[in-house]
Amino acid sequence: MAVRLAAEPDSLRRSGGGGSGGRGAASPRSVRVNPRLIDDLARYGAQDVSKCYHCGNCSAVCPFSREPHLFPRRSMRYLQLGLETRLRGSLEPWLCYYCGECSEQCPRGAEPGETMMSMRRWLTAQYDATGLSRLFYRSWKAELLALAIVSVLTGVGFLAWGLLNGNFSIYDGPGAFLSSAVVHRFDWGLAAALIVLLAANCARMWWFSVVQAAGPKVPLWSYVKQAWLFPFHFFTQARYRECERKRPWAVHLVLVLSYVTLFTLIVFFVQEMQSGPGIDWRVHAFGYAASVGLVAAVLFAVRGRRAAREAQYRHSHESDWVFLVLLLAVAVSGLMQHALHRLGFLPAANVVYLLHLMLAVPMLLVEVPFSKWAHMVYRPLAMYFAALLADAHGAATRSEAPGIARAA
Amino acid sequence: MAACRIGVYICNCGTNIARVVGCDEVATRVSGLDNVAVARSYQYMCSNPGQEMIAQDIREQGLDRVVVAACSPRMHEPTFRAALQGAGLNPYFLEMANIREQCSWVHEDPRAATEKAVGLTTAAVRRVVHHEPLERRFVEMCPATLVLGGGIAGLTAALQLADAGPQVYLVEREDRLGGNVARVDLTAPYLDSARSLLEERIARVATHPRIEVLLRSRLRELTGYVGNFTARVHNANGGLRHLDVGSVVVCTGYREFDAARASEFGYGRLPDVITSFELERMLRAGRIETRAGVPPRNVAVVHCVGSRSERHHAYCSRVCCMTALKYAHEIRSALPEARVMDLYIDMHAFGKGCEDFYRRSSELKTMFLMYAKGHTPRIRQADPGETGLLIEVRDVLSGEEVEVPADLVVLMVGMEAREDSEEVAHLVNISRDKDGWFIESHPKLDPVATTTDGVYIAGACQAPKDIPDSVAQARAAAARILARIARGRIEVDAITAEVDESACSGCRICGEMCPYAAIDFDTGARRSRVISALCKACGTCAAACPAGAIRARHFTDRQILAQIEGVLEWPSNHGSSASSATGAPTRGPTLPEPAASVTAPTSAPSA
Repeated sequence: MAVRLAAEPDSLRRSGGGGSGGRGAASPRSVRVNPRLIDDLARYGAQDVSKCYHCGNCSAVCPFSREPHLFPRRSMRYLQLGLETRLRGSLEPWLCYYCGECSEQCPRGAEPGETMMSMRRWLTAQYDATGLSRLFYRSWKAELLALAIVSVLTGVGFLAWGLLNGNFSIYDGPGAFLSSAVVHRFDWGLAAALIVLLAANCARMWWFSVVQAAGPKVPLWSYVKQAWLFPFHFFTQARYRECERKRPWAVHLVLVLSYVTLFTLIVFFVQEMQSGPGIDWRVHAFGYAASVGLVAAVLFAVRGRRAAREAQYRHSHESDWVFLVLLLAVAVSGLMQHALHRLGFLPAANVVYLLHLMLAVPMLLVEVPFSKWAHMVYRPLAMYFAALLADAHGAATRSEAPGIARAA
Repeated sequence: MAACRIGVYICNCGTNIARVVGCDEVATRVSGLDNVAVARSYQYMCSNPGQEMIAQDIREQGLDRVVVAACSPRMHEPTFRAALQGAGLNPYFLEMANIREQCSWVHEDPRAATEKAVGLTTAAVRRVVHHEPLERRFVEMCPATLVLGGGIAGLTAALQLADAGPQVYLVEREDRLGGNVARVDLTAPYLDSARSLLEERIARVATHPRIEVLLRSRLRELTGYVGNFTARVHNANGGLRHLDVGSVVVCTGYREFDAARASEFGYGRLPDVITSFELERMLRAGRIETRAGVPPRNVAVVHCVGSRSERHHAYCSRVCCMTALKYAHEIRSALPEARVMDLYIDMHAFGKGCEDFYRRSSELKTMFLMYAKGHTPRIRQADPGETGLLIEVRDVLSGEEVEVPADLVVLMVGMEAREDSEEVAHLVNISRDKDGWFIESHPKLDPVATTTDGVYIAGACQAPKDIPDSVAQARAAAARILARIARGRIEVDAITAEVDESACSGCRICGEMCPYAAIDFDTGARRSRVISALCKACGTCAAACPAGAIRARHFTDRQILAQIEGVLEWPSNHGSSASSATGAPTRGPTLPEPAASVTAPTSAPSA
């Protein structure tokens, strides 16, 4: 896939190169600098950007950095100058997987890896039109408050519904305290809401990075031709594998696949998951495997962040901890209610189930569209958009110079 | 010429010469020349045993001339002259042939190199016959010193001189002391107050019993020579002073580049474009504000205004980069909400503590924008509906054309030579470079003295420099002068020109040609005279004199012609002595154009 991204370096050089996030010649219009953007980004975790003196070691050592996406140095420069429009339209933060090589090699301690990370947070806030994301990233208190409000509303709602329509000592089947049929309908509603919110954010991302950035127009056929890139990168995290150390990729892949598996089980098979007391191996086998994978991957990340030795774990924003703690709590509470159900402690299972919902719903509603979770969509989408832009440049170059046959 | 007894000494210089030149053969072959009493080859002539060998031969063999074929006379001529003097011979009865730099170091063929060494040594032998005994002379040293300019360099030089005892006259054009440093608020990189640097010095100078400060005064004329100058100083009230001084220190400083000359920056046209000195005034007043009277939110600092430019001055003014960083500190501490943006070509942070200062400045959230030399930023009024100014510039590090919004633009104006530098140079008889800066005697080894003996330069009149460098140069100039005063008199080299007054027609061509103003015209006798204390023996006057009335001592026509003859007689010397003296088989034709291949040694005086 990287081959696609590296498309036509020569044509880019011919058309001026350098410029705007890999988009050939720089826009003829000047870009306004903003000396205060750097202060804003500091709230997202970019503390050391001004130390950078542009030796370029980071871009040289980065396994992903190649024409036309030479990062992180260029992004560091955009940030130092406060070129807001350039940064907003840049896909480069999403093309970085934070292996940390750049920060290890930086002679100034400018932490390019962490800067790219903070730019991802900032971009997430830019893609969100509601302003909630910006609020949550800049204030962990606001984020916790939002989580608490959603959690209480979820708890009160399900408790009222359960007490009015069900029996506290029944976990499953008719008269259950939390009927799986109702939870299932709720799941669908929640999934629909998340999809709408995420789609709106993705549309803005497309607008900033593909449409608004001055450059040749993306041909329509390209959208179809390259569409496979999104699912491919979503399910394989293939780009992460290009980092020198393979373990972070493996851990991340386990986390993603576990999460996707559990999400699928809950959205489509929640009734089978909740059935019992016998074990339905058709769904529970997947459930166990995914739960183990999720807990193991999260614990691995927690340990790394606590040790803070490796570059990618050295700096932790509040949003990173919220992400991990919620994920672990949701996984553990899900496993507990399952176990209590199997062991026959039905009222206890119902209590834990309610707690599980009070953790899972706010996590999904707050984190997926407005915070760190969104990156699972933005990253593969960035691969897709980058390929579109490469196609657009290729087409533009061919039409400019029809006589020049390009080597296959 | 009466017969004389010449000793010829061929130095091997270890293997430096002997590796290529057959030193023993040279000695053997020149031993047969007329007047040569003894010819020896020795490992190191400059060593004590080597010098002793010469002294012993002078005493025992009655030598009255010495030729040393060795290295360049610039290296060891003083050594061997001293050896002659030690043995009771006039030191000017020495001639050196340079068979190292002009022979063994530049030739690879031993045969040809040896032949050339023989030629050079023969020339020296022919020349030394005509040498005359010359006497060194001394002139008295007046201990008073004239210091021109009351800036940081002039104050420093004056204090150091006067503290040691001698009288100092400090002449300043303006009505106050302190110069350009007095216009500055803090100094980089330690953020010390410029005022505190000056105040103590000015107070001491003003009350010093041996410093006379002449404010609003100008030097009008300087006559005389080292140790014995007379300065005519006028003051603005019409007063006139004649000052007798032995030395002059020129510390006339610099002036700032006029920003209006670089029209692209809009200085004078746009209201909030100011120069660095105008910002200094705001900083000293404690109020940084725009023309509208409000504190600026964004301050842009543009480096290299007038410096490092094709259109104005190609040189770097050296102090502006660190001064610009200083503004980042001063502005941020006065206006914590303000942001400083530095538009620079290269950041020159070469001084002590400066790289660290640069690092600390970048931590103040200063935005550094690098622009390419020749791609000057353009400054314009912001579009309608916006306030302030916009600077359009191409940022090299991102390749982007960017617009920098600024409420205040500070132009880092460079240094240039003062408008009166030509006049001052003419008055004290020193030279200026193409940019108008005064030229030092040697750019590396003698940056304080000038081509006129007794006239020294210090501070930014020589080239753009910062306060520590100016102070160091001023102290060095003072130390040089004090060393001379301590000796009490000045030795004048015996090698000078002299006018045969009976042949002089008084045409004064020599006086016009002399680069050192060393020729005086006696209006009564209508004859030119050489002031030997000033003469550097360059020989220009001797060559120019239409009457042939000027003789360059130690470089007389006879001496030079004899030397040339010595080189030209080389083939016969070879033909006769090579076979007879060494009995060697006839040499192959390795030097087809012998006369053109040999170079006469230049025993140039130290001018």
